[in-house]
Amino acid sequence: MMDKDKLRKADIFSGSLIVLFGIWVVSQALKMPMKGSWGGVQNVWFVSPALFPLFVGAMITLLGALLMRTALKAVGLAGLRQVLQWMASRELLQYLQTPAILRFYAMLVLFFSYVFLAIPRVDFFACSLLFLMAFISMFYFDDDVLLKKLFFCYLALAAGLLLFFVFKLPQALEGTLPYAGDWLTLICAGVYSLYTWRTVRGTPRLRKKYRLSLILAVAAPFSIGPVFKYFLLVPMPTEGLVVAVMDAIWYWDF
Amino acid sequence: MMIFDRIGDFFGIVVSIAADPINLAILFGSVLLGIMFGAMPGLTSTLGVALLTALTYGMDTSLAMVCLLAIYVGGTYGGSYASILINIPGTAAAAATALDGYPLACKGEGGRAIGLTTTSSAIGTSISMLFVVSISPIISHFALQFTSFEFFLLAFFGILISGTLTSPDLVIKGWIAGFLGLFLACVGRDLLQFYPRFTFGYAELDSGVEVVPVLIGAFGIPQIIQVLKDRFAIGETQKLQRIIPEIGMVIRNIPAIVRSALIGVGIGAVPGIGEDIAGWVSYGTAKNTSKNPDNFGKGELKGVLASETANNACVGGAMIPLLNLGIPGSPPAAMLLGALMLHGVQPGPMITFEHPTFIMEVAAILLLASMAMFVAGMLLAKQVVKVLRIPTQIFMPIIGMLCIIGSYSLGLNIFNLYLMLPVGIICYFLTSMGYPIAPLVIGVILGPMADENLRRALMVSQGSFLPIFQRPVSLILFLIIVWTVVSQFDWFRNAKRAALQKILNRKDSCEAALDENESETP
Repeated sequence: MMDKDKLRKADIFSGSLIVLFGIWVVSQALKMPMKGSWGGVQNVWFVSPALFPLFVGAMITLLGALLMRTALKAVGLAGLRQVLQWMASRELLQYLQTPAILRFYAMLVLFFSYVFLAIPRVDFFACSLLFLMAFISMFYFDDDVLLKKLFFCYLALAAGLLLFFVFKLPQALEGTLPYAGDWLTLICAGVYSLYTWRTVRGTPRLRKKYRLSLILAVAAPFSIGPVFKYFLLVPMPTEGLVVAVMDAIWYWDF
Repeated sequence: MMIFDRIGDFFGIVVSIAADPINLAILFGSVLLGIMFGAMPGLTSTLGVALLTALTYGMDTSLAMVCLLAIYVGGTYGGSYASILINIPGTAAAAATALDGYPLACKGEGGRAIGLTTTSSAIGTSISMLFVVSISPIISHFALQFTSFEFFLLAFFGILISGTLTSPDLVIKGWIAGFLGLFLACVGRDLLQFYPRFTFGYAELDSGVEVVPVLIGAFGIPQIIQVLKDRFAIGETQKLQRIIPEIGMVIRNIPAIVRSALIGVGIGAVPGIGEDIAGWVSYGTAKNTSKNPDNFGKGELKGVLASETANNACVGGAMIPLLNLGIPGSPPAAMLLGALMLHGVQPGPMITFEHPTFIMEVAAILLLASMAMFVAGMLLAKQVVKVLRIPTQIFMPIIGMLCIIGSYSLGLNIFNLYLMLPVGIICYFLTSMGYPIAPLVIGVILGPMADENLRRALMVSQGSFLPIFQRPVSLILFLIIVWTVVSQFDWFRNAKRAALQKILNRKDSCEAALDENESETP
């Protein structure tokens, strides 16, 4: 959490966003049937589906306004002007490039690419391998310069994967190369792993960390995934190449 | 006779649970997992319960409860390891323990401190179990008299009080978080008329937001981002000597233990407030009532005893409103509520009719979990503290993957992940700006109850709010809500102070006049 002074300054903005959000909730609620007929039921205001959202939206608006008022009282107009000046200055850009913020971006990219790009399209084990390999190595090396390099490498690979799916190449290749998306993800994991090795091979301490991160990136999905898949009978979000191999082994009639 | 029957039933359930080796294995395994979760700074018992909910989805309700309650009890206790050995609370619940636990470890008495936390935590949980058994039927009976207005006000009160007491910054932020949770609860088709609200045409949102993925996102993702962004590192671990149960110390301090347990149960029973507040209040009370308050903070065993008894007693306390009113008493209890709903158990006043032995089963599991925790704490503490050596950068990404597969497996719906991640990111921003997450979660859970009951009550009264003032319980709840809200404003505090001053002045002038009269009387 930020310190008190920064919090009050941030409260002005969060408060205004909350007020806008509250107004939006109210405006949406006003579009709901208040008195008309819905599904054959003649509405009265007190059973209308709009009643509760209206109350919630109004309260959010009111509380947001109260928060803004409290923050403005504490910061004053001079303080607000200072914040606006800071936002218009180069300091904001410098702040957005600090190591802590870079770590935040890295996590956002990792999570969003995993959830929105990989999981719906790529075999769960293959995409988890890439996700964990990148995630553990980026942070376990505990070096901001390395993190930046690895982050850009991952970003390039994720962009490649995105284009591959945007241009619908898996469907085009389906006849000649089944599980094309899974193969590409595994290749990406290999490329990332090789790039990381090239970057850290000169430092014995990092070499040891690299080995451990690689072992964990492989061990974690292959120990957690089968528990869900074969013991709890939960089908994986996407089942592809790796699941097919695992199924063949699991259901192999010895 | 009825009391003896109930005691007999209770021990019958205890024996039947303990007699099954699978139950016992799950109990010990979950307690141990909970202790490890609690011990690792950055992981919380709430997250432990959340992740295990996914694994228990396929189990029957009773086995799932063994698993979830055991991890809850273990997680609450496990936080003390990191507090004592590295001066970083493993969970917020153990924050007060660090004040005296760490100085004890520095003096070479870490084993003694952990022995005491193990014993007092087990006692705290067991005492709270007694309250679950004894108070639940009374509350349940009382709650059967509630009408829709009372349920609406109760849900509203739960959100407000949770916002008031858990906010680390301004109270308004706690309330805003609560209302944001209520907004999330509005998403989906409304329960009375089936009208789609805030669904934007997505069929996946028609049934509303899934509670458990939202909870996993709200508690898991911000934790991962926070720990890795701020480069959280675990400090040097103090040496751990032989662990002693400290029975003598416990016997000498029975009144203090009972007081701490009562504080824990009481705070646990207040909706939405967690074990951390119980620990702090109990620690503060122990310090204020001590003959040597100066010793607190320098390695006073009574400080450790007070906070650990209270935070574990809070577990049982949180079960009371959860089981009888359907209102979670703490964030992990909110997770438990989500898990119970998944298993088709709807906590509330009807629970004693729909599942007659359920409350007894919960109490029995709490008793067994406290025993398992004591055994595991005494025998395996030295092995468990080794988890403190695992760097957070290694286990946080794995926890991230678990959050994702856990959210997906509940409902086998990828849309849950699309919901979980943005909720997690928003909650991260809210946390870093001083908004508490517990009220938001309570809002998501209690939203449908508040919405449905408000409209149903108005339907019965034909749009009149008058019944609130005609029914004693709703009037009391209404007055408490008004008091909770207005007492946060300066104008009210000033007016209260001025009124008190006026009364005191009048009293003084009356006394002076009386004295004058007495002196004039021959």
